Amino acid sequence: MKIVVCIKQVPATGADKRYTDDLRLDRASAEAIINPLDEYAIEQALRLADDGVADVITYLTMGPESASEALRRALAMGGDDAVLVSDPGLAGSDEWVTARVLAAALDRLAPDVALMGMASDDARGSLVPGAVAAMRDVPLLSYGAELRVAGNEARVRRLSSDGFDWIAAPLPVVASLTDQVGEPRYASLKGIMAAKRKPLETWTLADLGLSAAELHGGALTRVTGARPPEAKPPAERVENVTPTEAAARIADWMAARKLI
Amino acid sequence: MTYLPSADHDDLRSVVRELAEERIVPRAAEIDQRAEFPWDLKELLAGQDLLGTCFEERHGGTALDGVAQCIVVEEIARADATTSLIPIVQKLGSLPILLAGNDEQKDRYFPRLASGEWLIAFGLTEAAAGSDVSANRMRAKRDGDSYLLRGSKRFITHGSVANVLTVFALTDPDAGGRKGMSAFIVETDTPGFSSPRLEHKMGIRGSPTAELNFDDVRVPAANRLGDEGDGFKIAMATLDRSRLGIAAQAVGIAQGALDAAVAYAAERAQFGQRVVDFQGIQFMLADMASGTEAARQLTYAAAARVDANATDLPYWTSSAKLVAGDTAMRVTTDAVQVLGGYGYINEYPVERMMRDAKITQLYEGTQQIQRLVIARQVLQRAGVAKRASS
Amino acid sequence: MSTNDILFLAEFDAGQATRSALELAAGAAALAAQSGGEAVALAYGPGAADGAAGLGAHGAARCVVLGDERRPAVVHAPAATAVAREGALALLAPATPNGRDLAAALVGSLGLPAFGPVRAVRLVDGTLETEQATLQGAVITTSRPNEGAPSPSVVLVLANTFTPIEGGTGSAAVSTAPTDDGESGLARATIAESQPAEATVVNLEEATVIVAGGRGVGSQEGFGVLQELADVLGGAVGASRAAADAGWVPYQLQIGQTGKVVKPSLYIAVGISGAIQHRVGMQSAEHVIAINRDPDAPIGEFADLFVVGDLFGVVPALTDELRRRRGE
Repeated sequence: MKIVVCIKQVPATGADKRYTDDLRLDRASAEAIINPLDEYAIEQALRLADDGVADVITYLTMGPESASEALRRALAMGGDDAVLVSDPGLAGSDEWVTARVLAAALDRLAPDVALMGMASDDARGSLVPGAVAAMRDVPLLSYGAELRVAGNEARVRRLSSDGFDWIAAPLPVVASLTDQVGEPRYASLKGIMAAKRKPLETWTLADLGLSAAELHGGALTRVTGARPPEAKPPAERVENVTPTEAAARIADWMAARKLI
Repeated sequence: MTYLPSADHDDLRSVVRELAEERIVPRAAEIDQRAEFPWDLKELLAGQDLLGTCFEERHGGTALDGVAQCIVVEEIARADATTSLIPIVQKLGSLPILLAGNDEQKDRYFPRLASGEWLIAFGLTEAAAGSDVSANRMRAKRDGDSYLLRGSKRFITHGSVANVLTVFALTDPDAGGRKGMSAFIVETDTPGFSSPRLEHKMGIRGSPTAELNFDDVRVPAANRLGDEGDGFKIAMATLDRSRLGIAAQAVGIAQGALDAAVAYAAERAQFGQRVVDFQGIQFMLADMASGTEAARQLTYAAAARVDANATDLPYWTSSAKLVAGDTAMRVTTDAVQVLGGYGYINEYPVERMMRDAKITQLYEGTQQIQRLVIARQVLQRAGVAKRASS
Repeated sequence: MSTNDILFLAEFDAGQATRSALELAAGAAALAAQSGGEAVALAYGPGAADGAAGLGAHGAARCVVLGDERRPAVVHAPAATAVAREGALALLAPATPNGRDLAAALVGSLGLPAFGPVRAVRLVDGTLETEQATLQGAVITTSRPNEGAPSPSVVLVLANTFTPIEGGTGSAAVSTAPTDDGESGLARATIAESQPAEATVVNLEEATVIVAGGRGVGSQEGFGVLQELADVLGGAVGASRAAADAGWVPYQLQIGQTGKVVKPSLYIAVGISGAIQHRVGMQSAEHVIAINRDPDAPIGEFADLFVVGDLFGVVPALTDELRRRRGE
């Protein structure tokens, strides 16, 4: 059973984040990490390998040359090899283009399960897994808190409105996972050393048989403006008072805003 | 040669830092308050292969270069000095075997030490002798194909939690400490061994400092390191290298205190501005940072000499430990000053760091001993040394 | 059917339009008024056929019924057919897990531009423009479709971005999507097993008042204190990830990056430190009150009123005070 884990390199939380003059995220300016939610997908894949269910784990990402660091980090946690899709035609790509390129790379890698985190830290559309599944015409098992694979079937445990469901589908599938799959492991020192020797390939759009024109120049959408969020006035503070006084002050505050 | 850290070194630092910040920092205050050995963190470090950095790959180690080993210690010490002693002492205890052990001894012990399944400690110091190792009195009496060890040790870091020890005892008391001492590998479940008492310490409080008793502990001759009489030489060769670990620990403690001071000063406002914006504070931070960096670079330079087995490596490692230990003490003291009253209470980590830093001026040779070692090398180079009197 | 129409996904349950359907109906109607087209519902879910015409009172001009199923795996095929045939300017979808999956499938199968989740959407000189919080709220960006991009633009919309039109009249013209032929890959996913929770849980996305508890609440019993306050306010109880992970509340009540994204008019954060992952789930709340023992808790940075104190003293006192003012 072969798993491809799709990961994304994102700016670290709290890192200095800027947009360049052409309104693209200035990825060079910020410390880059593996999208934290993708680490859960990696952990799930590695658990399936630990249990002898997965035979091969490949990591796939799309991004600039420096995104290979994210792949090495992932390989240090475990897994076998990695593919970076990198092409000047992909700078500023949007969700549709990302999905299109990942789908083409997955066609070539032909995994039984393509795993992704449920969302990316820097843009939270959560649309890529579903779009990739639709493009590849395979089932989507989304928002899984756990993934199991047995025989020719994959299933995820997913929160429902009042409990949880097991959603099942025949292989191959695309699955997106939540942070309930279990805390991601740390890379061990031996893992880090072994990762340096694991195969890492770089593919261009031409390698995938895609042209920039076919990808609408890299995006169907564009960012037209970026500004800091509205500054919030500092909170009104209630301190060093008894609970009763605090309660009265809160109630007054709510009444003044017609909240009660 | 290169003075720039390699990409591998940078990667290693960021990986260990992340681990330390997420898993060790939250435990540090509790370890200090309860004065309990952090078994959970020992397991964590073992699981990440961080206790096997000085062992060869065939023994399950990762055979890191000296600078990389320093980085591991430094980043752990930046979070918690106590926890950094786990890899430091794993190497300290193993160094006699690395330097003087035969293949059979290495094959027997290194896999369990590299994996972290077993802990080791270094049993050299005695209550009456202290810095003057040649005055040690513990005996090892030959008895057939084994030795009977009798006597006691004091101030043995991890002595009470180790599975195995490297122990130094006199096989020929008449020849004295320098020529009559031998080194042994002793498993702590051997009858007659006990650890009756732990010290109550100012700092590194989670790291047990034990008194050890040997009441006719029978040790097979196959566990002797090198020849009879090699003990003093092995002990000195060990300390010449192991004090590098203390230098790295001191650098880590200093860095931790500096980072805590900067973070606090950036948050705290006084007289209408951030504390960090006062030039007086900036000057302090600059001195703390540049001093820490100087200590770090000297430590790395010493590590490179140890890797190269340079003849003057004692000069380098003693210089590194002297400078780093004093720097850690000064930087942590200044960090407390930057935090003001908050620095003096245990709500913030710097008072713990200041207490922890003090030990780096004391153990594995006091700063005064380091100066003697350095001076001896200086005089030798100048050709003005006194002739050794033994 | 015109290229100026605004489509929206309208999920039904037991013949009733969900809150998100009513909000999107209002948003679609407002956009359609600017574009000179119609607001057109794509209605699905149990009882969609029965309730579809009723959307007319909430802003929809027409309604295309996709079927009784609500799972995106099944709804996708008729939805794709309807979207392709309608040729609209935009398609509004709720930023819920199912809404996202359905929107994603349409983006993938029809090759459409995607936006969001957005907190505002408008027409500027006839062009669609969206506004969204990016990089965990560090930046607010605006986006538009590129020249020549296919339409409709698929726009994920956060809950409470639009206010439902109440008291309207009229009924929407109802048609049925052509039945789909051929089996799609997505449809091969099925519900193999369903396990209901021990207790029923409220839908936080529709709550206007939320009392949320974090690590500071300390136990399942502690949440009882929060529930009493929520009851007095007619609101719902929510939680941070730490509280859900600790098992004090079911995961359905988790608010944040990997839980629900809520936008109530009043959010009371109790014993929640305010990590960025929590913040992204509630930063659009209109009024935020924080109650925390730690005067430096990050939640103070995005609260409107910050009460420093012990929650087990303040929360019951507040419940009593509110009851008293109400004359109970």
